[in-house]
Amino acid sequence: MLSNPESGIKGIISNIQHMTVHDGPGVRTEIFFKGCPLRCRWCSNPEGLSPEPEVGVFGHDCIGIDVCGACLKACPTGALMAGENRIMAIDRQVCKKCLRCASACPNNTLVVYGDRMTVDQVMDEILKDRSIYMRTGGGVTLSGGDCLYQPEFVRQLLEACKKARIHTCVESEVVCATSVLDSILPYTDLFITDIKHMDPYKHRDYTGFSNRQIKKNIEYLALKSTPLIVRLPIIPGCNDDEKNLRETAEFLTQTMRGNLLQIQIIPYRPLGIEKYQALGIDYPMKEQSKTKPGEYLERIRKLAEEFRSYGLPAQAGTTVKS
Amino acid sequence: MELETSQIENLVTKILNQMKSENKTGAAVPAAGHGTGTSPTYPGQEKLGAGGNEPFDLEYGMMDTSGKTYASPYPRIVKILDRLHHTPMTVDAERAMLYTNAYQLYENDPQTLRMAKVFAYILNNITIRIHPDELITGEVAAPSRSAPIYPEFSYDWIVEELHSGVWSKRNNDVYYISDEDKNKLLSIEKYWKGKTNSDAIIAMLSDEQACGSSLGPKPVFFPNLHLWGGIGHIIPRYQKLLKIGFIGLRNEIVDCLNKLDASTAAGLEKRELYVGMLIILQAIKDYHMRWGALCRAEAERETDAQRKRELLTMAENNEWISEQPPRNFWEAMQMTYSITALVTIESNGQGVSWGRPDEYLYPFYEKDMKEGKITKAFVGELWEQLYLKIHEMNRIRDDETCRLNSEHGIGGPLLLLGGCDGTGADMTNDLTYIGLEAHAHTQLPDPWLGVRWGIASPWEYKVKVINTIRVGTSQPKIFNDECIIPNCLRIGRSLEDSRNYSVVGCVEIDSGGREYGEHDASYFNLAKVLELTINNGHCVDCSASCPRYAKCAGANRPLGIDTGNLTTYKTFEELKDAYRKQMAYWVTQMAAVVNACDVAHARNKPLPYASMLIEDCIQNGKDLTHGGARYNFTGPQAIGVGTVADSLSSIKKLIYEDKRVAPGDMLDALKSNWKGHEQLLALVNGNQVPHFGNDDDYVDSLARFATDAYCDEVDKHRNCRGGKFTPGIYSVSANLGIGMTQGATPDGRGNYEALSNCLGPVQTAASGGHDVSGPIAVIRSAAKCDQMRAGNGTLLNIRFSPSITSGDTGRDNMIAFVEDYFARKGLHIQFNIVDTETLKDAQVHPEKYPTLLVRVAGYSAYFTRLSKELQDDLIGRSSYKSFD
Repeated sequence: MLSNPESGIKGIISNIQHMTVHDGPGVRTEIFFKGCPLRCRWCSNPEGLSPEPEVGVFGHDCIGIDVCGACLKACPTGALMAGENRIMAIDRQVCKKCLRCASACPNNTLVVYGDRMTVDQVMDEILKDRSIYMRTGGGVTLSGGDCLYQPEFVRQLLEACKKARIHTCVESEVVCATSVLDSILPYTDLFITDIKHMDPYKHRDYTGFSNRQIKKNIEYLALKSTPLIVRLPIIPGCNDDEKNLRETAEFLTQTMRGNLLQIQIIPYRPLGIEKYQALGIDYPMKEQSKTKPGEYLERIRKLAEEFRSYGLPAQAGTTVKS
Repeated sequence: MELETSQIENLVTKILNQMKSENKTGAAVPAAGHGTGTSPTYPGQEKLGAGGNEPFDLEYGMMDTSGKTYASPYPRIVKILDRLHHTPMTVDAERAMLYTNAYQLYENDPQTLRMAKVFAYILNNITIRIHPDELITGEVAAPSRSAPIYPEFSYDWIVEELHSGVWSKRNNDVYYISDEDKNKLLSIEKYWKGKTNSDAIIAMLSDEQACGSSLGPKPVFFPNLHLWGGIGHIIPRYQKLLKIGFIGLRNEIVDCLNKLDASTAAGLEKRELYVGMLIILQAIKDYHMRWGALCRAEAERETDAQRKRELLTMAENNEWISEQPPRNFWEAMQMTYSITALVTIESNGQGVSWGRPDEYLYPFYEKDMKEGKITKAFVGELWEQLYLKIHEMNRIRDDETCRLNSEHGIGGPLLLLGGCDGTGADMTNDLTYIGLEAHAHTQLPDPWLGVRWGIASPWEYKVKVINTIRVGTSQPKIFNDECIIPNCLRIGRSLEDSRNYSVVGCVEIDSGGREYGEHDASYFNLAKVLELTINNGHCVDCSASCPRYAKCAGANRPLGIDTGNLTTYKTFEELKDAYRKQMAYWVTQMAAVVNACDVAHARNKPLPYASMLIEDCIQNGKDLTHGGARYNFTGPQAIGVGTVADSLSSIKKLIYEDKRVAPGDMLDALKSNWKGHEQLLALVNGNQVPHFGNDDDYVDSLARFATDAYCDEVDKHRNCRGGKFTPGIYSVSANLGIGMTQGATPDGRGNYEALSNCLGPVQTAASGGHDVSGPIAVIRSAAKCDQMRAGNGTLLNIRFSPSITSGDTGRDNMIAFVEDYFARKGLHIQFNIVDTETLKDAQVHPEKYPTLLVRVAGYSAYFTRLSKELQDDLIGRSSYKSFD
């Protein structure tokens, strides 16, 4: 009997990117899950924050209310806000998230972030790229948001990937309960996580959460001998002071026991501002967008050197050596 | 073999003697200046079989587009490059005048003999020149970077443009002509009126046949190349020619003559051809002796001892190969150039290609290396000289053509490297690597460099290919052995000839020296066929201002056949059936016009010289144009695959499935060029309709349907040389020009916008590129069209930004990308490695980027010299900054 592709548990996926090269070795398919417990100020994927499907507004693509107006007719609550003959925003207080406006929109002015998909449906997309994984040593990367916000779906998806002999990588904030890690580790070939700050209070200031569970989980991953890549996003004025960096290096030296494949020092980039606007969320990092790129990148390279002096496998950027 | 004295021999001698008295003496004008030869200082790896002069994985970095530095390690290559970059393009009248003179002189001769004598007359009288620093001599009957004129094919446009003086006023393809040459060319206008080959073709066509071609105002197909010019698109059988020399050809011909029964009609025709060939061989001998004498004269004046020696060697090279087969690599290189340049003196057909020199020159290289007579460094320099000599050749085109296919150069001089030999063994060798290095060093748009890529090609070779592409000149283009060899077998080439395949022009598959493929026979607009299918055989932009209106809609008649329209087809299947019917009608019309070209060329412009170069014309005693070659094909190519796929997708999804749009509304929208239908325009351009290039079977199957419908019909037709028609699927850059004749289409394209490029996704003014899923999805969609049956080639352009391709990871990902497409039986792929920002900056500040080479389609050209339309088209094509 054929299984119904619509049946079974569903995940909420904000995007599937084919052929990424930065999150894990080789050429990869990256599944972006929707929903994240953290609210990092520098987040560049705001569409991954809320666990519910939502509509983004790209007003400059609107062809004009006078010639179209399909969304206005479709909206049951009058939440759409227009100006200069275009749809400009959605009143998120009034919107019931029924998504009818986006179905009515003829082009990409109103975009739905968040597809409810079954494991089989996601696997169909993944299998399209299998031949390129074979040729490049790539595979699948589950990302987000935080993919471990949907642990059971992720477990099933990872299991399906391993059955199809596909390399798997989980990229997560690891704020989850440690038991969640237990459930997925048998199907996970590589783990990517990041350390945002060593100080639990500052961590809460910048992300909304303390780092206690995160540190505990990272230690647990090391204990379980999980191949691990740790990323250090360097956010000027937030976590790039010498004390924090030294403490980070010490923490990693003490806990990692040879499981650390790489430390990737990542420069902050003001990405995703357009998406913040589309979702009606204030961009939290306005004051940071003025850093001079040249000087800053040089600093990232120097930091990588400093971490290497601790005997840590640090490098600037996200290229994974295969 | 000694020649036997026979009646025929006497006849030839008599003709030759008579011709000598008619010929004026050609005055050889030596070039001013002295070439002071600098010895190559290249640190080559002198071991045979060790690869090229450089490590296979040498990263060249990105090219310098400022035109200030040159990458060649050879000082005199740099000097020649600098000269070529600063030589303006000109038009030269000498060939046209000699041709016209001889054509009248021999007007009583039968046509083949007349052609032979005209060709010999040109060779005997044309001015020849040597340039400083040259190691290979030769010209195409015009000075360096200058275009000769071929009045025999078409002349009205030349006269028109001479009068308007437009050549020097163009934005791109700027040519200068002296007043003297202009007056000369105008003086022969009267003679050629009504006598050209194009006049003969047009006279053969019925109104019904002509009206669907580019002769009419609303064309479905465009046989322009062979209608207005020569056919070209051949590769001489270099391997054989270098082995036996011109004397070998002469012996073969005399042998055939002696066995000939000249009492039959066929025998008489054969004798005419053989006699013509012998006349030409004598002229070729004299021509080379003239080059030899010129080299000696130059050596006489030369003060530098080394350059003097070189000039004397060059003299000897010319004198020896005038009859005898080459004895060493340098002579073989000289003969290769001579053979090809002579083809271009005989006719102006495009796509005269160089075959696989790493294969046919290898025996000479190996012998010289083993005997210690040559260094690898010198081979590298000679190879670079060859590329410069190819770039030196030039051809002028009419104004309209230049706007759309700008900066074509000589047009289609494809040179192919790598691949397997006739037995199937990989034949990658030192010369393959040297050939790639030569491009990385010269960074010229010519030759149109191609490489063969098989599963079994060495990894080192693949790395070298990718490293050469990463220089950013967009060369070479890559051809897939795993698709092309079965493709060759399918249309009847032998296994050996299939493995030994070569490519001519842009992407046209050819067995190399054994074939008259009439490649590039016509463009065929798939979108026009769809338009006529959904609108009762009428154009959607039909109006009384159309020059054809009175005979067409005005007389209540359709342009095509009336099978109904969008509102009358009850199901999508009915529409597809109607599309097939419309297709059958138009492919038949195209076959008629293309065959008329074929017939006219055979009658008016036999090619006795080229016929000697292609197997088995001599044995068959038949001219190339009469079907003398081993294989005879006619290859017209489809254009607008993405446009039709996305159009059918819109129709299927919105009208027949979702019933969201009324069929009448869609037709109204097209007829009004979307005015008042903005919502529908946004819808068809938006993500609710599946689009080609996103790896979506829904629409990719429609692309397959459209290309299959075309190939099915093309496969049914036969040409006048006893061969088959074989379809291609590529537009080169004609998607722009043909788009300008095409009304709005249901994919969201407005009136006269560009059609989709080759096998690439749609891009429209309303929405930009329809591909939103990254490059891997583009190659997957393209691979779903059946390229194995596209015997005349397919083409796919991909643009990456330099950042994604950098480093070892970028290189390995590019190799994987190519192999993934090729595993799915893609036939060809080519890359532009350049940022959108760079292109935009170059458009505004052309002075900063004089040598920014970009891939236009089948060819590369300097970006800043392209027409604005073409620049915009290139900028519009999706660039992939990352693989996501």
